[in-house]
Parts: sequence; structure tokens; C-alpha cells
Amino acid sequence: MNVFVREMRANRKALIIWCIGVALLISSSMGKYAGLSASGQSINDLLTQMPHSLKVVMGMGSFDLTTAVGYYGVLFIYLAVMATIHAAMLGANIISKEERDKTAEFLFVKPVSRNTIITSKLLAALVNIVVFNLVTYASSILMVQQFSQGEGGSGEITRLMIGMFVLQLFFLVVGSAIAAKSKHPKTAPALATGILLFTFILSIAIDLNNKLEFLRFFTPFKYYDAKNLMYDRGFETVYVLISVGVIAVLLMATYAFYKNRDLKV
Amino acid sequence: MNVIEINGLTKYYGKERGIIDINFNVEEKEIFGFIGPNGAGKSTTLRTLLALIYPTSGGAKIFGKDCIKHGPEIKKEIGYLPSEVFYYDKMNVIDLLNYSASFYKKNCSKRIKELAEIMDLNLNKRIDDLSFGNKKKVGIVQGLLHEPKLIILDEPTSGLDPLMQQRFFELLQEENRKGSTILFSSHILGEVQRMCNRVAIIKEGKIIQLEKISALQENNYKKIRVQLTAALEQNYFNIEGVSNLEANGNVISFLFRGNINLMMKKLSEIEIANVWVEEPDLEEIFLHFYEKGA
Repeated sequence: MNVFVREMRANRKALIIWCIGVALLISSSMGKYAGLSASGQSINDLLTQMPHSLKVVMGMGSFDLTTAVGYYGVLFIYLAVMATIHAAMLGANIISKEERDKTAEFLFVKPVSRNTIITSKLLAALVNIVVFNLVTYASSILMVQQFSQGEGGSGEITRLMIGMFVLQLFFLVVGSAIAAKSKHPKTAPALATGILLFTFILSIAIDLNNKLEFLRFFTPFKYYDAKNLMYDRGFETVYVLISVGVIAVLLMATYAFYKNRDLKV
Repeated sequence: MNVIEINGLTKYYGKERGIIDINFNVEEKEIFGFIGPNGAGKSTTLRTLLALIYPTSGGAKIFGKDCIKHGPEIKKEIGYLPSEVFYYDKMNVIDLLNYSASFYKKNCSKRIKELAEIMDLNLNKRIDDLSFGNKKKVGIVQGLLHEPKLIILDEPTSGLDPLMQQRFFELLQEENRKGSTILFSSHILGEVQRMCNRVAIIKEGKIIQLEKISALQENNYKKIRVQLTAALEQNYFNIEGVSNLEANGNVISFLFRGNINLMMKKLSEIEIANVWVEEPDLEEIFLHFYEKGA
């Protein structure tokens, strides 16, 4: 419990900054929608003339940009990247910082097991990503409703936020597992975000080139694709199962790696 | 009763040597010194006892329980002061100490105040505003605040001024009187001789000597240098107990072990310009043990 409270305090300031950041991103982006919607249907006409690849890179795909929630769908991928970067760095740092800051010789001579410490830390990280998710959720609902003139959209946003939460969990344990295994505490957060960016770019590459479609299982960003979640198939069982499986394995790996290795002191 | 029993403890970092086949016991209520030069394996041994790192082979028991398997349980009664103290920079001293205390299921606030008083430590400063010596004091208070039965100290005096060293040693002796066992690593022979009942000497990962401090003191080497005013017969100082005899111009130096009165008589019979009688430093003592061991 004391480790949990300590971690909540230590991460409080960073969490507030991340939350302000995501709320600003949502409100400023949706603010642009206000200008865009004034131009009426013409924006969709413009977009149909844009090359496919450009739209893919911008994350626009086939959204109907004349509706607030369609516009929000484009924004989602950026929110997801931001949320997962936060989660991956948090997961890696929360484990590796004791060794990085050389406080391991303080904490790990206390009468608590490494497993207990990991559990407290992961719980604190979990609360952090839940808060981040809820702030994103609330800002999204608020801003989309501001501009949607009663077309709703909260159902879509709820589905997107559930998808984002699974992505956050996924990269949280990617970060923690890397940090638990790595003997170099400083490189763990960098490695975790590196993997994240790689899978993100892979998801764009798949959109660009149909031949890469078979790689979609290797990037969780494809599991919770905004278009699917909003309009088409919703949550697909196979992807949900893969995510739950990977999260479970990485979670167990975090405990197993950390328990069995020498601490860097 | 043995508080610590170390049996064949060996640790390799990959292929690099940590410690090899360490065996010794620390008895209840003794102050045990663990002495050796830098890189000999002192910290490795202590960190293995605390399960920060795991042994390659062999093991150790603390309070009769395996130090790895029962780590969390035995650590309730251990206080540890690492050789380099690092804490959470953004915390206040008192917050850190309370955090430390929160791991032990007892109220330590009175003891924290007492210890801070003794060590002259300001509790309201931020950790990152503290000097190295003051951080060390935080470490000392932090290691003792739960009144542990076993105190493990890794080079505890580095960074402390002589007055604080003095108070710290008094504090340790007081804890020892109250029943604590102390294991204490150092590379300073003097402080070990002053504090400890028994001592283990470690060199290049192996224990090369284990004895009572009194026995070590019988091996009372003096390092003597004499500056002469005139040339002297070459073998004048070559009496029993003299070793490492060297002449450098009119300065003669050697190690002497034996009846110091004999040596003083020898010195008084000749005309000298200056004389230095020093404790040999640790390296020289080690050299002696090392040669004997080899």
C-alpha cells in the first residue's frame, strides 16, 4: 500500500500534464472542426480528390468529415498514440527507475517481496492510465457534443475509448516486461516506445499496401482500428483474444523476469 | 548462536569474478568487521545477503533462514546502510524516513527524532539539497530507525566528518549493547580495529584471513622510516622482526613487528635527523597476508 501511494504521488505531476495535453489536443482539434463544418459538404469533395496514400498517412481513411464524430474518428489514432506512449513509458519507468535512480538499495532491502512491489507499482500505473483514459473520454464527449448538434456519437466514442484502454494496457505491460528483463534501466523506456512507434508505422504501412495485410496481427493498432470500432465490425473476437493473451503473458513475464534477476545496484 | 552463516557463497557476474567460496559466521551480539580493498567483493557479499543479487552457488542463512527464500521475512530485522546512498530526490528527509518506517509494522517516529538529534540532521530539507555527508546521515537514521537486530553497514564512514564518525560509532556501540549484531565492511583498518570483535579479510573475491581483532593486533606491524645524518652500516636495522628493508639515500624504511622497545633502543643509539613511526596501510597488511596465503 505504501509503495502504491508513493508511486501515485511520484507520478501525479506527470499525469496532470499528460491529461492537460490530451484535453488540449482534443479541444483544439475539434475547434478546427468548427471552421471546417462551416464550409459544408465541400470538404468531403476536396478529400475525395486527395490521393489515397496521403489520406492514409494523415489517418483520414474513409471518415465522413462533415459529422463531428466522423471528424473525431480521424483524431482517434493520434489520441491512441499519445495514450500508448504515456502507458509504455509509465510501464517501463515505474519498474526501471529504482535502478536508474539507484534507490533499489533502499526499496529492495525492505521486508517486502519483489512481487509485492511490482504489484503495487503496476496497480499505480493502472490507476494512472485509467485516469488518462477517463479524462480523454470526458473531453471527447464534451467536445464532440459541443459540435455535433445533437447527432450523438457517445456510443462510438465509448467503443473507441474501450479500444484505447486495451491498447494502453497492452503497451503498459510491454513497457513493464522490457524494464523487468532489461539490465540497462535507462534503455527500457526508449526500447518500449521504439516498439510502439514501429507497430504504429506498421499499421500505416498496412493501410497503404494491401499486400501487407497479413502483418496486421503484429500491430495492436490494427486490432482497434477506429473505422471498424465505429462503423463496421466493432470489436472482433480474434483481436480481443490476442490482446488479452499477450497482456496476460507480458504481465506474467514482468513478474518472472524481475523476480529472477540480479538488481543493478 | 550464529546470526549469519555463509556457506560456500559464490557469485560470478557472467564470467567476471564477484566472490568465490565465501565462508564465515557472524555470532549474535558481535561486531564483525569485513575488510578488504576496493573491488575485493565486500559489497557483492553484502548485497547477496540482502537478496539484491542472487548467488551463483552456495548460500547464506540469516537468523537461521535462507537469505534468498525468506528474504522479506528476515529483512524485518535488518537495517542496511549502503556504501553510496541515493534516495528519492524530490522527497523531504522526514517524508523519506516515514516512508522507510512504513515498511516495518511499528511506530518509529520517536526513534527517528532521537536519531536525527544524535546525528544532527535537519529533517525538513529536501533530499536533493543535501550534501553527500548529510545524505549519509539520512542513510544512517534510515538504517537504524526500526531498531533492527542485525545491522549491515557497507563502508559507513565515508563522507562523515570525524565528529560525526565518532558519534556514529558511539551510536553503533550503544545499539550493540542493546543486543544488535553488526556486520560492517570497511577498507579502513583503524576503524575496524577499534570497533570489531572479529574480522574477515577479503581479497580478490576470497576470504584470506578470519580472526579475532586481538590476534590481528598481535601482528602489530609498524612502518618505520628513519632519516640519518650520516652513513650507517648496512645491516644495522636487520634484526629479527624487520622486513621490507629499503635504503633510499639516507632514508631507511622497513616494517617492524615485535617488541617495540628493542627498536627504540636501536634508534636511540644512532644519530638521526628524523623518524616516522606509522601504522602500515591496509595494502601492506594485505600484502603480508597475501604472501602468507600464497
